[in-house]
Amino acid sequence: MKSNITLIFEKGIDEELQNYIPEIDIEVADLKEIIPQALLRNDIPIPNVPEIEIVRHFVKLSHKNYGVDTGIYPLGSCTMKYNPKIGESVERLPGFSQIHPLQEENQGSIELLYNISKFLGEITGMDWFTLQPAAGAHGELAGLLIMKKYFEHKGIKKEKIVVPDSAHGTNPASAKMAGFSIIELKSNEQGEVPLDHLEYAMQGGDVAGIMLTNPNTLGIFDRHIKEITQIVHNNGGLCYYDGANLNPMLGICRPRDMGFDIVHLNLHKTFATPHGGGGPGSGPIGVINDLSPFLPEPCIISTENGLVCKESTDKSIGRIKSFWGNFGVIVRAYAYILALGAEGLLRVGKIAVLNANYLRILLQQKYKLPYNRICQHEFVISDKNMPNNITTEDIAKRILDYGIYAPTIYFPLIIQGALMIEPTETESKESLDYFVEIMNKIYEEAKENPELLKSAPHNLPVKRLDAVLAARKPVLHD
Amino acid sequence: MDFVPHDRKTIAEMLRVIGVADIEELFQDIPKDLIKEKLDLPTGLSEPDLFRHMEEISRKNKIYSSSFLGAGCYYHYIPSLVDFVISRSEFYTSYTPYQAEASQGYLQAIYEYQTMISRLTQMDIANASMYDGSTALAEAAIMTTLITNKKSIFMLEGIHPEYIEVVKTYCWGQNISIEITTEDKLLNQLNEDVAALLFQSPNFFGDIEDISKLVKYVREKAPNCLLVQVMTDPTCLGVIKPPGLTDIDIFVAEGQSFGISPSFGGPGLGIFTAKKKYLRKMPGRLVGKTKEINGTREGFILTLQAREQHIRREKASSNICTNQALCSLAALVYLLAMGRTGLKGIATQNFQKAHYLKSKIEKIPGYKILNTKPTYNEFLVNCSSIDSLIYQCKQRNLLPPLKISKYYPQMKNTALVCITEMNSKDSIETFIQAAQAALNNKAEG
Repeated sequence: MKSNITLIFEKGIDEELQNYIPEIDIEVADLKEIIPQALLRNDIPIPNVPEIEIVRHFVKLSHKNYGVDTGIYPLGSCTMKYNPKIGESVERLPGFSQIHPLQEENQGSIELLYNISKFLGEITGMDWFTLQPAAGAHGELAGLLIMKKYFEHKGIKKEKIVVPDSAHGTNPASAKMAGFSIIELKSNEQGEVPLDHLEYAMQGGDVAGIMLTNPNTLGIFDRHIKEITQIVHNNGGLCYYDGANLNPMLGICRPRDMGFDIVHLNLHKTFATPHGGGGPGSGPIGVINDLSPFLPEPCIISTENGLVCKESTDKSIGRIKSFWGNFGVIVRAYAYILALGAEGLLRVGKIAVLNANYLRILLQQKYKLPYNRICQHEFVISDKNMPNNITTEDIAKRILDYGIYAPTIYFPLIIQGALMIEPTETESKESLDYFVEIMNKIYEEAKENPELLKSAPHNLPVKRLDAVLAARKPVLHD
Repeated sequence: MDFVPHDRKTIAEMLRVIGVADIEELFQDIPKDLIKEKLDLPTGLSEPDLFRHMEEISRKNKIYSSSFLGAGCYYHYIPSLVDFVISRSEFYTSYTPYQAEASQGYLQAIYEYQTMISRLTQMDIANASMYDGSTALAEAAIMTTLITNKKSIFMLEGIHPEYIEVVKTYCWGQNISIEITTEDKLLNQLNEDVAALLFQSPNFFGDIEDISKLVKYVREKAPNCLLVQVMTDPTCLGVIKPPGLTDIDIFVAEGQSFGISPSFGGPGLGIFTAKKKYLRKMPGRLVGKTKEINGTREGFILTLQAREQHIRREKASSNICTNQALCSLAALVYLLAMGRTGLKGIATQNFQKAHYLKSKIEKIPGYKILNTKPTYNEFLVNCSSIDSLIYQCKQRNLLPPLKISKYYPQMKNTALVCITEMNSKDSIETFIQAAQAALNNKAEG
């Protein structure tokens, strides 16, 4: 039977296409004179595809994809806000895109990196920033290695990190990569960190600190944040702020003021650089003065002679990426901060929270919200009490049928059948109302016609796909 | 400017629905003394003012008419359709394709990327990408320790010095020991406790290593030691034997050469491939082909996620979440545009131009090519005054080669020269003039 899929590899023609090879204008030697025969390959099993076929193929594929520019993208903790087009224009300026990372005449790039680290410092309250990490999880790793190095230099053995059960999955995985073991802290009935449990965990003595997201993945701002950071500090630990949920805090409240010592930011969330279908991102980290010697290299500082790279020291954790970080992403974020300014950023935080609460109030009429209180940027619905045993996956797949993207599902793990919803500040009221309308319709369908949900989606290029088959017999290429 | 689509009336209505008097009330959980008064940041800019500012900063970077600098970041021609495809906002404004049925476009593209990379490298499996070449190598090192249960890594001299630093940082985090060695010393040092030997070819100095000899030696001396190869400019695969045919266990590369602009060194693309038997220890995302649960159509889905952090948390093989999806899409389109003929053509031209430039340089008294092994598009040149050579290049609007003492202080007056298909005959002649002028003007610069 003929497959419904056409791969681009089937579009090759038997012609030696050479459209993108410049004419050679020097006398050339035969390849065999330059390199030994044994080093040469025989064939390259890659087709020659005419340009128009490639273009049409990818335009067709783009029609089978969904972006923020298509419609609401309410993925919780992912902050799928609109990506201003100016970011694309400035990133492609030749004075940025054509610059080699090792060239000496790079003052523009250095100035930009320095400026944005100052801005991020003001936004978070942190003294120093590095722009090296390529993503949030990469920033987490760098931040945790800084903690490790800090204690190593103090000659204190610390081998554990406290992570609440509502944390992003990257937190425990990053802690493990940095060589720590995890103490998982169970959230209390309010979705917050139980202070007595934290106190108990910290008294073990070998705890390096805590990794915390605030507001957390339930969208709740922990009211005892100052007590939390105080307890950790009193027991000789450091406090790490996972900045994945910083968006609603912009201009409102700063991680440093909450008592944090290290923070990572996701420029591809809070600062509106495109997610690109899963990268490239950028995950800068900020630290307090005491931790600055441990930052990864290179580190740009301002001196009498202008901006320079700090001499490397044995205290630094070393390099975590080649060259200067994901510069092209950083350029877009820098432009975003300049476009919005202080007032614009404050408005981001406020409207993100307004939009989330508006959705929460309207959805609670039919859906169960295990933690139903004023939220910040996001909130979580559970599939508990859904009619006819309809699951979160059924709801999500049915949402897709209505031409919009589904929220984050089955996360956080502490809620049964979680649907985590984050609308962001760039969705209009009409867009939010449409989402509510669809969700209400789906609830009615769950009652009246549950099969419709269980077999969803119906209106997409494919019906529900078999994840078990994919994992049992992996087919990873043709 | 901001990008909020509400007017005042709408905001008032939404507040009424929520049942609060003002937005501030929504921040009631935040202790009062934590509320920030006002950020000390500039006032927002309109788009034309912002564009002018960005242009002004960008002009403080110098753009040269031609480049002789590589060292991990390369100027290759990027066909126009690459930027066209990655500018489709259905791709670039999407998230990781968790909802497979609504993301078939991107998932198929990633599957095609994995296929493309497997074919190009002849390795069994390729993942959806890592951050860059350096982190791909570091993750490969860690992966070998998970496979072998050993905590010692050997690295052969000639790996990009910044990559070595990144591997060191990652390995320090997990108490993995690192030994940097040479081919000669390896004979005595290699033992059964080594998880892997990491090497680069073509290496940082430009040498193409005798991989079959290296592999044979390691397999005999330490049968359980894995071989990890890294490459910084994989365009050479258009001509040279791919790692899958030389028994390499894990092959990683920086994919920036495949249709991604230099952009001050990032974002790039971490290409990650391995033998099939190591699949379940592989970091990063993978896209697989599957079928409908209740149907016959085929489709694509993120698979083997049980290896990943969002499922396995602290038991995951890596913490990687976001990768470089859009860069992998660029690489796929680049490789398709080139096709087998273009890939071979570009690689051939890089070999030939480097060969031509080498022969010209060798004829200048006082200049010496240091490589004794075959080279691709980079090689080492010893000269009487590197500073003078750099000065003369800049005078002629050429981006000068790397002064290699930046990384190896003992290697004085040595340049790492890079030449690609982008260098015209004119630019080569100008470089030769610069090299000659550098002899006459040693004092300058």
